[in-house]
Amino acid sequence: MDNVATHEDWKVCFSEFGPGLLLFARQWVRSPTDAEDIVQEAFVKFWRRNHRVNNRALLYATVRSIALDVIRRDSRRARREAEVFSDSEQSIGPQFELGDESQLALAAAIDRLPHEQREVLVMKIWNELTFAEIATALGISNNTAASRYRYALNALKKSFQTQ
Amino acid sequence: MNDFSEIENELKKLRAARPSPDLAARIECALAEADQSAVTAAIITKPRRFHFNWLSAGLGLAAAAAFLVFARINVDRTPAPTNRVAQNTPVPQTSAVSSFIPTGATQVVYHTRDEGLHYAAGYEEPMRRMRYQKRETLQWRNPNTGASLRVSYPSEEVVLTPVSGQ
Repeated sequence: MDNVATHEDWKVCFSEFGPGLLLFARQWVRSPTDAEDIVQEAFVKFWRRNHRVNNRALLYATVRSIALDVIRRDSRRARREAEVFSDSEQSIGPQFELGDESQLALAAAIDRLPHEQREVLVMKIWNELTFAEIATALGISNNTAASRYRYALNALKKSFQTQ
Repeated sequence: MNDFSEIENELKKLRAARPSPDLAARIECALAEADQSAVTAAIITKPRRFHFNWLSAGLGLAAAAAFLVFARINVDRTPAPTNRVAQNTPVPQTSAVSSFIPTGATQVVYHTRDEGLHYAAGYEEPMRRMRYQKRETLQWRNPNTGASLRVSYPSEEVVLTPVSGQ
């Protein structure tokens, strides 16, 4: 997977990163179909430019950039998303294959996190990006990425303990 | 980070939902189409698109028009020659338009937004897009009459900076 993207290995790359990319895209759009459209556009754009496959920061930055463009393109959607972001109770949140009730509660707690913390958490836990990669993708410092992650874990730990 | 190992393990137990089966097929089609369009793009070289900020240009023109209107009013106010027989001091003949001199130009950036990495048309490498929202103020003063003119308008600037991602 260290080679430059070629047509032969895109399926391997997609099967590895697909669920994480989709989860990442779901933070900005409500419907899974919209999220899949974003992932498709980002993945094709990334692949066409023959970037190194292990440049995951750029891949996630592309997803983020396209997601923000999609929101901006549709003003009605932008308004709706802005309302969603301002109301943490109804935030979109990552989508999981949920098992028991504790997982359901944990997913709900993730949903309640501030958007910038959830973004870092999703990239770190379910996409296994390093803080340096997260920092590059989001245009923030390594320390900011690490501290957002820590705040997210701290909030989740508290909500987990209260259950 | 040991304090968080328990919660991290719980989080890792959550599995992200898998993409729908047809997404891979859609990507395959899109990549095939992209290959075809890449062949076309190699033959037809696209001209570089000139980015023109219509908002700033419009406001700039409005400011210039306002300046001309005020300058004209000032010309009209110059004292008309009278038919007095005797006059102690002659009225100085000055051009009000030419005596308006620029005295200041300020640009206050009141909001900066980092819009992340983007692919600009015609560029292979990603670029970081910064959006600056500003208020620009231009000032002129007529040293002869003491009249001053100030025009202030909002403007927006988008700056693309190349990023070497790899």
